[in-house]
Amino acid sequence: MKSRTAQRIAFAVLLAVSCVVFLPVVSIFVILVKEGGGALTPEFLFTMPSEGMRSGGILPAIIGTLLIVVCAIAVTLPVGVLAAIYLNEYAKDNLLTRVIRLAIVNLAGVPSVVFGLFGLALFVMMLNLGVSVIAGALTLSIMELPSIITTSRNALSSVPASFREVSLSLGVSRWRTIRHVVLPNAVPGILTGAILSLARIAGETAPILFTAAAFYVTRLPHSLSDQVMALPYHLYIISTQIPNMPSKLTYGTALTLVLLVFLMSLAAIILRIIFRRRKKW
Amino acid sequence: MVEKIKVERFTCWYYDVLALQAITLAVHEHEILGIIGPANSGKTSFIRSLNRLNDLNLTFRKQGTVLLDGKDIYAMNPEALRRRVGMVFAMPLSLPMSVYDNVAYGPRRHGRRGKKRLDETVEKALVAASLWDEMKDRLSDSALKLSGGQQQRLCLARTLAVEPEVILFDEPCSGLDPISTAKVEETMLELKQKYTMVLVTNNIKQASRVSDRTAFFLSGELVEIDVPSRLFVTPRDKRTEDYVTGRFG
Repeated sequence: MKSRTAQRIAFAVLLAVSCVVFLPVVSIFVILVKEGGGALTPEFLFTMPSEGMRSGGILPAIIGTLLIVVCAIAVTLPVGVLAAIYLNEYAKDNLLTRVIRLAIVNLAGVPSVVFGLFGLALFVMMLNLGVSVIAGALTLSIMELPSIITTSRNALSSVPASFREVSLSLGVSRWRTIRHVVLPNAVPGILTGAILSLARIAGETAPILFTAAAFYVTRLPHSLSDQVMALPYHLYIISTQIPNMPSKLTYGTALTLVLLVFLMSLAAIILRIIFRRRKKW
Repeated sequence: MVEKIKVERFTCWYYDVLALQAITLAVHEHEILGIIGPANSGKTSFIRSLNRLNDLNLTFRKQGTVLLDGKDIYAMNPEALRRRVGMVFAMPLSLPMSVYDNVAYGPRRHGRRGKKRLDETVEKALVAASLWDEMKDRLSDSALKLSGGQQQRLCLARTLAVEPEVILFDEPCSGLDPISTAKVEETMLELKQKYTMVLVTNNIKQASRVSDRTAFFLSGELVEIDVPSRLFVTPRDKRTEDYVTGRFG
């Protein structure tokens, strides 16, 4: 076979494989919009469910999901950024930091249902927080810690080393150098990573299954120690536990969840574009 | 003649690679000491040892002493040392902020507050770096919009704003055109009244134009140090002669 023909065939195969990646995304969207698009009315999004969830809206599930993920990020972002600062700016390569790095990698590999059980044992039972927004948020925050640390470290290490040298050469301390030169230039990357994490944990079911999610609540949460409904868990319940559930509402719920995640990712992308345009080096 | 900096048998390594070998020399107060030599001769290692910027490199090891006004700099707090021994880098490294904020960066971090005092410091530093006339109406512009030569003088002003005693120049004109280079050199000569300076340069002519004494480094060794009129005209060492006459390097 001529090498040019071989190359053409290879490219065609690679293109086909790439399209296979693209296909599920499109088909998920098409099916959800076709089956559930009609359900997306303001009433569906902004009212309480009624008739054993067979009609009415999904407001408590939307609020619950938003509440849990925002609390989770509020906890995990400061911890993750501080850890990233230590690992990237201060830590020497020794046994301790190697153990920490290993722990981060392994934490990222733990299955999410294990996080759920861990959260149940530690936050719900041992710390006596009960099944609540705060217990679910803490569970998710531990699960998301490795990715926050990794994206923050990447953001920090992308700040040119010369900026640090200039600041240090002026007799400025290492901490002030980080605070005034490194961090301001790393914020865009850190924020983008945080929003993508937000989007990812919004769809998580297993970690909140035992720690935060309620089957059905009749009122909106009043405090962080309330149980809440959450979109992924709600979706699971109405697809498997409720007989005679109108399929339009099930698909509508799934579509809402996907759109929520999509909007968050979109926000991260827009933020990245804005910052990249402002980036001056 | 007062010896501002005294280097005694200074040897250093990165990993196990020898970078400087038993350097002994003095920098006199209010002089410009030029340092010339080919790539890898240890020039940059040498001046980065004078403000301990080499400490950032975890593989750096050293022997011997460096005295500033008779005190061992490796026994000092490095931050206190770097306030007294400033540095201008090879590339014009402006921070991504305004002209004003660049110059005010050091004083602010060292706790200088109050708009009036900062304004005075910034103006004084820009005047000393011969940049005030060009910059007085552009203080809030981004420093990265300036030309290379202006940025390099801005970096000098930023160093001056911390009020050091010694200024180290690490090939400050390597990225500049001849006119910008002339401006930087002119500024250096003006600053001589107040500061002690060490100038590392690849440009032999520059060393002969501005330095009071010139040191020739080769493979981590100090080959010869003398006033330019002798070092460039009647060098004692054959290697110096070969280098300054352009036979290698």
